[in-house]
Amino acid sequence: MSRKPQNKLTPLSEDPKWEDVIPIPQEEGSAHPLASIAYAENYSEAMDYLRAVMATNEMSERVLELTERVIRMNPAHYTVWLYRARTLFTLNHDLYAEIAWLNPTALRHQKNYQIWHHRQTLINALDSADGEIPFLTQMFEKDSKNYHVWSYRQWLVKRFDLWDAGEIESVEELLKKDVRNNSAWNHRWFVVFGRPDTDAFKDEEIVKREIEFAKSQIRLAPQNQSPWSYLRGIIRQASLPLSSLREFAEEFAVFGKMDQVRSSHALALVADIYAEEPNGTAKATLALDMLAIRYDPIRVNYWEYKKKQLPPSSPVAAGT
Amino acid sequence: MSAAEAAASEGVSSDAAPRLNKPKHVQYWKRCLKVYLPDYYTANDSTRMALAFFTVSALDLLGVLDESMKEEERRGYIDWIYNCQHPDGGFKGFPGGSGNQWDPATVPATCFALLSLLVLRDDLTRVKRRECLLWLNRMQRGDGSFGETLSGEGKVEGGYDSRFGYTATCVRWILRGNAEGEVDGVPDVDVDAFVRCVRAAEAYDGGISEAPFHEAHGGFTYCAVSALAFLDRISSLSSIPLTVQWLASRQTLTLTSLDVLSTDGDEATAPAVVSTPPSPSSPGFDVPAELRCSPAGFNGRCNKLADTCYVFWIMGSLCNLSALDVVNVPAAREYLLEQTAHRIGGFGKSPEDPPDLYHSFLGLAALALGGGEVPPFAEVKPLVPAACVSVETCEFLVGLPWRREVGPREPEAIERYLG
Repeated sequence: MSRKPQNKLTPLSEDPKWEDVIPIPQEEGSAHPLASIAYAENYSEAMDYLRAVMATNEMSERVLELTERVIRMNPAHYTVWLYRARTLFTLNHDLYAEIAWLNPTALRHQKNYQIWHHRQTLINALDSADGEIPFLTQMFEKDSKNYHVWSYRQWLVKRFDLWDAGEIESVEELLKKDVRNNSAWNHRWFVVFGRPDTDAFKDEEIVKREIEFAKSQIRLAPQNQSPWSYLRGIIRQASLPLSSLREFAEEFAVFGKMDQVRSSHALALVADIYAEEPNGTAKATLALDMLAIRYDPIRVNYWEYKKKQLPPSSPVAAGT
Repeated sequence: MSAAEAAASEGVSSDAAPRLNKPKHVQYWKRCLKVYLPDYYTANDSTRMALAFFTVSALDLLGVLDESMKEEERRGYIDWIYNCQHPDGGFKGFPGGSGNQWDPATVPATCFALLSLLVLRDDLTRVKRRECLLWLNRMQRGDGSFGETLSGEGKVEGGYDSRFGYTATCVRWILRGNAEGEVDGVPDVDVDAFVRCVRAAEAYDGGISEAPFHEAHGGFTYCAVSALAFLDRISSLSSIPLTVQWLASRQTLTLTSLDVLSTDGDEATAPAVVSTPPSPSSPGFDVPAELRCSPAGFNGRCNKLADTCYVFWIMGSLCNLSALDVVNVPAAREYLLEQTAHRIGGFGKSPEDPPDLYHSFLGLAALALGGGEVPPFAEVKPLVPAACVSVETCEFLVGLPWRREVGPREPEAIERYLG
């Protein structure tokens, strides 16, 4: 990203296109402002002209140039985007040209809310998602966990009914690259369980498929928390018994072999399963102790807090 | 005696505990107050009110607000904030706009303006309270969510997420306490509808996200939980234990991208960062526990790197849920003091990063968190977690005569920090 273009911008005061506009300087309203910024000259000037055109509600081609100039330096300005959108619609401007301008802007400013809101406004008006998924794939190549991009993608799926248009497949593609991509896991949850007017938790086949998928991914990387959360989320929301995961969890952590635990998340799960069993408190306590002392000592306080919530131990259980 | 005081009377941790280089932090914030911020803050020009809040609130937490400004300057800062007040209610994020529909008040700026005024010990009598409350009601959508700002046509613009719900409920709390019904003839916001929005954004793992089905996120979780704290509706969460578990899971030893811990051979296809110690069966797992627990930061989402700001967002959320003691607070303080504190003062996002106002404030605010069984950090003033300002500043607010009239009862999550 080069800073050259903004330094080479012609001052607006020297541009005949702007000679009819009287810029409005920034008024701090106090001799002691807070959070004053050492603005670059071209930013101050652009803002002075922006105030002037906004004050007269001007909607014109030169307003598009000016807003672009401001956005380049301050992409988080909350009304300049709304003003630009209004100008685009007033002028019946080519919205595809706007998208073509927006793409590099989004790639340059990865953490910006306004850009994605603007994109949503444009794509909604265009009433077509053509080209969107490939662009999002390009964004994900830079950061496959970009929150704004994932949020936008959910909107896109809902707005254009893309539920069956390759979403699950692209999630699996991302998980192949990084099985710990929690954003991708979350998107899978959205695509499978977030469809309006359907309750996938009541569909045994889907629930079984998702449980098996999560298990297969856990076997690849047992210490990865994302699929464990996914798995337990399904069990909870489909109202299945936690004990249905017992056999699977014990592949990684089993009572009697506490020195051979392969996943702290499995151990936490077996602790919860034991805690639900009659007379399971002693076994659960041991599992929680192992987490606290050996397998997840950073959370020692949390495991102690969990221990306090266990039902009181019966003498019989304590003896096992 | 409040929980915070009780904890304070127990004193601070052992001699070996890392310390805050207070003179450097004071110097950093005084520079932010008095000297122009570098031009890269231009990208924050529209949210100068937030930067203003970070500056005055940090100086307050460090206990040097009064010595940092002459009386004339203090009044000047207050005037600057009031200059951002919109004639129809609320505050703008920055001064000197176009003076029409393109120059509106925003909910976050209004929250930061009111909090900054309180830190500067202004009694808020110049706030157009009735107009502000009327405007706040217009900022709530039919679904219960709050937006950022109003368009010229009266449409609520901006996201549907809990950042705006948090700042809106904070404004409500400041101006009308937890009063039900009308204040100044203005009805209350629709609390039940807002609470439904928070619940709808609960994710399957117990964290809270931006919107239904979005990914659980530490910042949105803090905003949602703190909004419920202002409304005295913490108990409306679907499952406090599940949310506590999600919050506790955010504590991580993975502090930089260089910390990619080697894991099982079977995980070699997944080169991304891990949020927990190496897989227990890997050779590195038998390192003595004390060597692996500190420093430990917090991440904002599962399987992400630690970041200074999430120490505040996560521990602040836990404070609101009365569960700060489920995490390792000393390890988090060590992460801040020895990893992300910068030698020139302030905090960066990650180790070695230069400081910025946002991370510097949240790092300091995170140190100021305590309560329950966790003794506060003695070198900064104790903080009210939901309000993000010192206990002293909150006590100033609730002691104001007009405030005692409108909202005599404080929400429990605030009350327990007050004297």
